[in-house]
Amino acid sequence: MSEPFEPKIIAFVCTYCTYAGADLAGTSRLKYAPNVRIVRLPCTGRISPMFLLKALQKGADGVLVSGCHPGDCHFTHGNYHARRRWMVFRSLLDFLGISPERVKFSWISAAEGGKFADLINSVTEDIRKLGPFDQYKELIRETETPATL
Amino acid sequence: MITQEKYRTRVKELLASNSVKMVIGYKQGSTADRRRPLFVRSFEEADELVLDSNCIGNLAGYLVTEGLLSDEKRVGIFLRPEGIRSINILAAESQLNPEQIIIFGFDTSGREVKALQGEQAEDFSGLIDSLKEKPPEKSSDALLYRIDQMNTEERFAFWKDEFSRCIKCYACRQACPMCYCRRCIVDSNQPQWINTSSHTLGNFEWNIVRAFHLAGRCVGCGNCDRACPVNIPLRFINARMAQEVFESFDHYAGTSQTQEPVLASFNKDDSETFIL
Amino acid sequence: MAKIGVFICHCGENIASKVDCTKLAAAIGEHPGVEVSVEYKYFCSDPGQESVKKAIRDNNLTGIVIAACSPRMHEATFRKACAEAGLNPYLCEIANIREQCSWVHTDKDMATEKAMDITRSMIEKVKRNNKLQPIEVPVTRRALVIGGGIAGIQAALDIANAGQEVVLVEREPSLGGHMAQLSETFPTLDCSQCIMTPRMVEAAQHPKIRLLTYAEVEHVDGYIGNFKVRIRMKSRYVDIDTCTGCGDCMTKCPVKKIPNEFDCGLGKRTAIYTPFAQSVPNIPVIDKTSCIYFKNGKCKTCMKSCQINAINFDIKDEFIELEVGAIVVATGFQVQNTAGYGEYGYGKYPDVITGLQFERLASASGPTAGKILRSSDGKVPETVVFIQCAGSRDPSKGVRYCSKICCMYTAKHAMLYSHKVHGGKTHIFYMDIRAAGKGYDEFTRRAIEEDEASYLRGRVSKVWEENGKLMVRGVDTLLGKPVVIEADMVVLATAMVPQPNAKEFAKIIGIAYDEYGYYNEAHLKLRPVESSTAGVFLAGACQSPKDIPDSVAQASASASKVLALFSKEKLEREPVVAATNEITCAGCWGCVLACPYNAIEKKDIFDRSGRLVKRVASVNPGLCQGCGTCVTFCRSNSIDLAGFTEKQIFAEVMGL
Repeated sequence: MSEPFEPKIIAFVCTYCTYAGADLAGTSRLKYAPNVRIVRLPCTGRISPMFLLKALQKGADGVLVSGCHPGDCHFTHGNYHARRRWMVFRSLLDFLGISPERVKFSWISAAEGGKFADLINSVTEDIRKLGPFDQYKELIRETETPATL
Repeated sequence: MITQEKYRTRVKELLASNSVKMVIGYKQGSTADRRRPLFVRSFEEADELVLDSNCIGNLAGYLVTEGLLSDEKRVGIFLRPEGIRSINILAAESQLNPEQIIIFGFDTSGREVKALQGEQAEDFSGLIDSLKEKPPEKSSDALLYRIDQMNTEERFAFWKDEFSRCIKCYACRQACPMCYCRRCIVDSNQPQWINTSSHTLGNFEWNIVRAFHLAGRCVGCGNCDRACPVNIPLRFINARMAQEVFESFDHYAGTSQTQEPVLASFNKDDSETFIL
Repeated sequence: MAKIGVFICHCGENIASKVDCTKLAAAIGEHPGVEVSVEYKYFCSDPGQESVKKAIRDNNLTGIVIAACSPRMHEATFRKACAEAGLNPYLCEIANIREQCSWVHTDKDMATEKAMDITRSMIEKVKRNNKLQPIEVPVTRRALVIGGGIAGIQAALDIANAGQEVVLVEREPSLGGHMAQLSETFPTLDCSQCIMTPRMVEAAQHPKIRLLTYAEVEHVDGYIGNFKVRIRMKSRYVDIDTCTGCGDCMTKCPVKKIPNEFDCGLGKRTAIYTPFAQSVPNIPVIDKTSCIYFKNGKCKTCMKSCQINAINFDIKDEFIELEVGAIVVATGFQVQNTAGYGEYGYGKYPDVITGLQFERLASASGPTAGKILRSSDGKVPETVVFIQCAGSRDPSKGVRYCSKICCMYTAKHAMLYSHKVHGGKTHIFYMDIRAAGKGYDEFTRRAIEEDEASYLRGRVSKVWEENGKLMVRGVDTLLGKPVVIEADMVVLATAMVPQPNAKEFAKIIGIAYDEYGYYNEAHLKLRPVESSTAGVFLAGACQSPKDIPDSVAQASASASKVLALFSKEKLEREPVVAATNEITCAGCWGCVLACPYNAIEKKDIFDRSGRLVKRVASVNPGLCQGCGTCVTFCRSNSIDLAGFTEKQIFAEVMGL
């Protein structure tokens, strides 16, 4: 039997809610899948769609974006702006053939360490089932091969 | 032909009275059914004006040419309804003063070219509101139907094939009235968010970013699609974005000069069914 | 060339048991640009910090990464260590390999691999970090307090007593606000004016307080520490410096039958008037809309009566421009208009009154000198029905929220009535008795047990008149029966609502408000007295319904925030703020709209001959809070956020 596929997942989170929630998962010694790498931003409002594209370029099989619940944003409404962008960006990716299953969004508060751990596990499992994002990786490989005439 | 003559006369009137310094319209192009932009400053040039159902390009982008409007003089321009919407967006984004723009509105949706009532952008708000109420019937384009039937892998393969032809000439950007930035993000190399080599990856990134930047701003004039030298069906991507903002946020680009940009505003009750 | 030091902490066994720190240090040592890569048991300890400082000095490091616990734990510690070693503290980044790695994973190989990724990406980030300096904003040490009710007075006094200058602005002719209208106050039943008027006088006479009554704030510009305010001094037509407040003009004024606002229309006043006898300042104003002179150009009786010629019909509104460093908004509330409740008969039957009107009846300085009398016939009511939640907690016709004070003041009214009218009977229709507060539940129990208020749990469906009595039909849900009570007076516990112009006023000051018009606090729990705009604080019922103790507490809290701001000549702020690239900005103003703090302004760029070249967005670092929402919006990539720049994030992601 071949080894199970270990997906690479990159998460973009805000420092006030989800990052703190991830810390809480740690201090609570909850266990979750080691596949996620976290990038900390001040607010979901700072999370640009460009970040997601670069994560895919770095070979991520899945991307997670997470921040404060509506109404809880430290900056009052960065997450409302983010939510609109995600709605539009998600639909764009879907239309171009990048499955919404690979780009997930969530609200996780500083108190939801349990939700964070559960989410990482379920997202990891979901992406594992989808398999590696071979189609995108093919594009990455093209950039790495030397140009020929 | 009646409209063309009427507008030629009007253009001359405005030039004669110094009400406008220039009128941007159409003239005969390189082939019988092609029209090219015409910048009218004299009566002789006014006689070259052509207005018929082949006048499909959106000329609004010429208005944001650096320095054109900075002398505060007026400029006339021939626009279809979507072009008038472009004026509204450019005004809402402070790229021009709509009072400087005299509009020669026309519609080619019927067989005859029809003149639209009004000369200032706000005169057409009733017309634009009615367009919003009655969005055009869903495209019967066979290719779009095919795309919609595909699963995500097939769609990715389809667009990969399309984008692999992209040569990053940026004609889409140059043709677009909304791409007025002095420095496009693709020209920013610190950091280089978008790969500029013509690998498919970078082409994907470029087209994704351009579509995202046009979300809620594209009026579907088709300039980019027609400009693309390798015939990537860009219209579908932008139309998909327009559909998304309309359905999710009731946003129809270019309804007024005070319309808030859809991605710089929000509603606390915006849909979030996709958020875990 | 980057010379990065990486310090890998074992955190005892916390990290080392799940992450192979030796392997990690070795691998990281190979990473381009890494000069030092070492491990240690506890880097947060004194010797640990010393070793970091030494490494910085010995190797002339250009940046450091501490691979340890969460930045939320020790980022400040290590930044300080950097500064002590002569390295800009913002050239330090934390790789969180404890909370987000060793504590949550069981497989040592995978945890080690993850720790490497985390550390590498932080190395890539720190290579692009810029030296940042805390932002210094000068502070004008003068506070503006808007609203002269109990909250505004308290805030003004607290700030002034600490030695700082205050400008206290009140829209009405006198200080006092709603508290001056009250008779007695719960839960102690001490006379409201007895405790209020000394405060009013103290505020008026305080050497550090400049009192501007009959004045309105019309424009606010600027930002924390540096606000510019324009105040309109409405003309009283009475020279405030000359007038002695003798009152001759008021006795002579021929227009005598204007419903007195202070008495909620129950009493009458003249066209030249002071709102109430203890007004501060005790200087009358002429009500232009009622004055005969202003109507037809004849009269001037008051002017003739004034022996010191203080009255002048030509005095115009004046404007005062002020610079202040902080603003306390204490604009208060109003009572909801009960017109929507036709079934209660307010407006139709003169003896259906609001709670505030009852206060005026019960007040010794009120229109009846403290006697509870019916407006219709001047008789003493024998039975009084109180209807609670007449507007509150009623999403269909009133407001959804609880007005918070009504349960208490209704109990107080029942008590005051039973003290004044022996043998009188009170019935109170209520939904719940919300008596949470020091001495509050005891107070309502006293109303029930000692003063025999009869509480009926249920709603009133109709009030009508029959044979000179007010018939009140309601339901007693605890008995499950409808009841009809013959009453002589009905008192409605109307809802507290924001001031009618609350939203427009919020726009003038630049603060956020909720769906009702109450002003939003920066954080409901942790920053309850700060508004969403730095330097603007909230006190009292303009933020949400509040009783006197809460209003006073919040006012003092606001004052302490103001004083903390004034404690230094310059305000130091984290330099995590946005800045625009004026060359590439296209001036579409999307960022201006998206910014939650109104921190982005339009800036004109001129050429050498003074010709306007273009307008670009410009971030005010005094207002920017560093969320970065503008950066993401900007299509031309013309804004960036210090500490989380595009280059840094790009490198961080590309390092993963």
